[in-house]
Amino acid sequence: MWPVRRMASTMSASSAALRFDLIAKCSTTRARASVMTLPHGPVNLPLFMPVATQASLKGITPEQLEDTGCRLCLNNTYHLGLKPGQEVLDAVGGAHKLQGWKHNILTDSGGFQMVSLLKLATVTEEGVRFLSPHDGTPMLLTPEHSISLQNSIGSDIIMQLDDVLVTTSPDLARMREAMERSVRWLDRCIAAHKNPHSQNMFCIIQGGLDLDMRRECCREMVARDTPGIAIGGLSGGEAKDDFCRVVAACTEQLPDLKPRYVMGIGYPEDLVVSVALGADMFDCVWPTRTARFGNAITKHGMLNMKREMFAADFGPIEEGCGCACCRPIEEEGAMGITRAFVHHNAAKETVAAHLLTIHNVYYQLNLMREAREAIIEDKYPAFVKEFFARLYPDRQSFPSWAVSALRGVGIDLLET
Amino acid sequence: MTIDSQEPPAAAMTFEILKAAVRDAPTAARLGRLALAGRRTVETPNSFANTSRGVVPHLTPDNVNKHMHGVGGTYMGLEDFIERPQIYTQRSPPIYDTPPASPALHHRRALHSFTAMPSSIITVMGARRLPAVPAPTGNTNTTMSVFTSTGFQLLSTKEYMHAVDALRPDIVIPMADLTDKAITPTSKRAVRMAERTDEWVTDWFRQLPSASDPDLPPTATFAPVLPIPYSMQWEYLERLSEDYAPTSQLSGLALYDADVLPDLTSSYANLAPLPRLSLSAPATPHHILRQISLGVDLFVLPFLNAVSDSGLALTFTFPPPPPLPSSSSLLPLGIDLSHPSNATSLTPLLDSCPCYACTSHHRAFITHLLSAREMLGWTLLQTHNHAVLASFFAGVRTALAAGPEAYQDACRKFSAAYEPELPAGTGEKPRARGYQFRTEGAAPAKKNKPAWGKLGADFLVDGEKQDKEKVVDSGAAAADAEIEVVALQTSPHDVDALADKLAQKGFAEVAN
Repeated sequence: MWPVRRMASTMSASSAALRFDLIAKCSTTRARASVMTLPHGPVNLPLFMPVATQASLKGITPEQLEDTGCRLCLNNTYHLGLKPGQEVLDAVGGAHKLQGWKHNILTDSGGFQMVSLLKLATVTEEGVRFLSPHDGTPMLLTPEHSISLQNSIGSDIIMQLDDVLVTTSPDLARMREAMERSVRWLDRCIAAHKNPHSQNMFCIIQGGLDLDMRRECCREMVARDTPGIAIGGLSGGEAKDDFCRVVAACTEQLPDLKPRYVMGIGYPEDLVVSVALGADMFDCVWPTRTARFGNAITKHGMLNMKREMFAADFGPIEEGCGCACCRPIEEEGAMGITRAFVHHNAAKETVAAHLLTIHNVYYQLNLMREAREAIIEDKYPAFVKEFFARLYPDRQSFPSWAVSALRGVGIDLLET
Repeated sequence: MTIDSQEPPAAAMTFEILKAAVRDAPTAARLGRLALAGRRTVETPNSFANTSRGVVPHLTPDNVNKHMHGVGGTYMGLEDFIERPQIYTQRSPPIYDTPPASPALHHRRALHSFTAMPSSIITVMGARRLPAVPAPTGNTNTTMSVFTSTGFQLLSTKEYMHAVDALRPDIVIPMADLTDKAITPTSKRAVRMAERTDEWVTDWFRQLPSASDPDLPPTATFAPVLPIPYSMQWEYLERLSEDYAPTSQLSGLALYDADVLPDLTSSYANLAPLPRLSLSAPATPHHILRQISLGVDLFVLPFLNAVSDSGLALTFTFPPPPPLPSSSSLLPLGIDLSHPSNATSLTPLLDSCPCYACTSHHRAFITHLLSAREMLGWTLLQTHNHAVLASFFAGVRTALAAGPEAYQDACRKFSAAYEPELPAGTGEKPRARGYQFRTEGAAPAKKNKPAWGKLGADFLVDGEKQDKEKVVDSGAAAADAEIEVVALQTSPHDVDALADKLAQKGFAEVAN
């Protein structure tokens, strides 16, 4: 049933190091299925990107990450700048070579960590000033530094340095300053970017929760014609309704033939709703972090494997899951992991965390794979309804933000 | 993780001695082959991987399957599986309820299934972990003290028998009355150890379930040999020789001290064909070679995991590389990957090592992972260190196949070429938490520095403070020093200080 809604002819756009092929669009919502071809191979969108903060996805080997189906993962510029540092990255020949990863890497700009990790960071026109977390040495991160570092890292997608402000900030003047500064910094980043033919810079749309400011930012950013576009500043504690409004307002303005990346989003509901709102790419540490706390993500919700009820549960982590942990032992490459075994070692041996990391990353990637198939078959609304029906006991418990956001793009979750 | 399709050999476990020790030869080392139905055949001398709570530390079962081809077996302690959580003290340990595998997977026994251990790998079960934490209370005539994640508890001979019945490990070591302490037991205690173990082992063979039910997958028994002088346990050993070796109930020996071997073999010829598994935890390859020369076939080596946790990559080979004429210094047994000299090295941990870490990664990555305290660092080191040991044993077997003289010669060269001890790792170790690390007496000092602290001078550890002042005093690298002076003298809250210089200095250039 492949080409039911396949577009008459695939629409494509190319920039120096990125090719974007729009395969299908949902006839109801704004969801899109596409292929983004990067220097280290093609990736299917919509897509979740797991976060290998320090050039390693928390305990699992690049080979195991590849086995989950991942072809694009994140590294954090801020962390790689501290360890192993730019000199080492230059000497080694970039992050791909450092971590033995044959596929694509996206790096953030380091700006978000400045603000989220370091309370004493201050932002000036020059850049972000902060104190080294190691010894308190004052340091400065400018757009030029960030791009220089990302050039050394050699990631396939690099992000501009932006002025990140918590979206809930009531200071509209500061918010406007941050938005406008992000645009000015984008110009500095583009000027400083040494490898536009092998690395794609994405701009980041700012503007807090003010939709007009967001729209204005979209216009400015789109005019600068970066290979891809990110929506930033979200996932900072704002109400989900506001989050959805911002994403919807931005995607409405963005060109069809560019990938759209909503930064820092990872809960399955958020992914499914954001895809309906027209977003393509997401990243979040939550699936891997929660794995280390002993939590497994399943289509019926999250299970804490440390609970006693799993001590003698000899079923797989999630019935029907296709990850290396859950597949039946008879299958090639399957491990035959039981909930009882994960329970036995959760919080006691790192292996339990590694297993849940593999499972959770697979879950997230597979959720996006299934969403993509549904979009191509033009069944995305049904997919969304099924997804929420599995997650919640009844319609009354559906989150209202999801109901109203989806209503805005033509899906009525509550209809029978 | 498919299992071998070949049909199991007729006997449950066979041990063939391919090259026996020659009488009056300078070494009692021998070459053998251990084969169990459905498992990978193990050439001996060799080692089995030590486990913690059913896993080779840091390695998921798929990594064990893919990257540990040199490892034919694992050792597990029952005490890792039988904790009683305080609110569920009455529950039976869940592992006993492991459902049987489907008939197509009849080689996956309960212990394999529960721990997701690849089917190709032999499981050996003892009552306690290796090394075992000494119990504050001693054993009684029917129970021993074991240490679970919920504290010490008593394990009766009856429960142990029940556990073996339920879990069906390939090889089991019956309970032995051990002190688990480094000091030699008094002769009175030693006598009681021998008597109790004798009694427990006698009971063991009387009740062994697989002996009565031929349909159950068989479990091979390796009888414990105690870490006390031969003269103190000869009665027990004589019983093994006279009662259990002739009936084939006894399949091997588990040595808690390899030095009993010479007396044992000279006194009981019919125990000689049995495989010998050393649980005496030799600390270096030199100790391993010594035990091989005494006639040990198999080892469980707890030092490997400690080496990986210390950030060390083993680098020895057997036989050693030919000595360089220019250098007379000894070769190190391992290298410290936390050392900054490896930061940009793209070479493998050990040249021509076939392991996953060496073929897919390089020193720079592992050094980065250790410095960033990323768990993958220890995973890769575990893979490598187990592979180095596997190659070491393969080298030993090749030398033995060439004859005792060749082996002796290689041993001499090895001890002349390598340092006697492993280097100490300088890196931070994985967080050592959990019951298995508790020691007697005062709590040991924290191994790792705190990762975070308050900003400002108070945060600097004394040593660092001095280092910084030294740099400033020496005036080395004037520009750097200037910034460091700023770092130390301005209030940390004054972030606007000297921005021009910082801009030149660059992001993430942590001065040190």
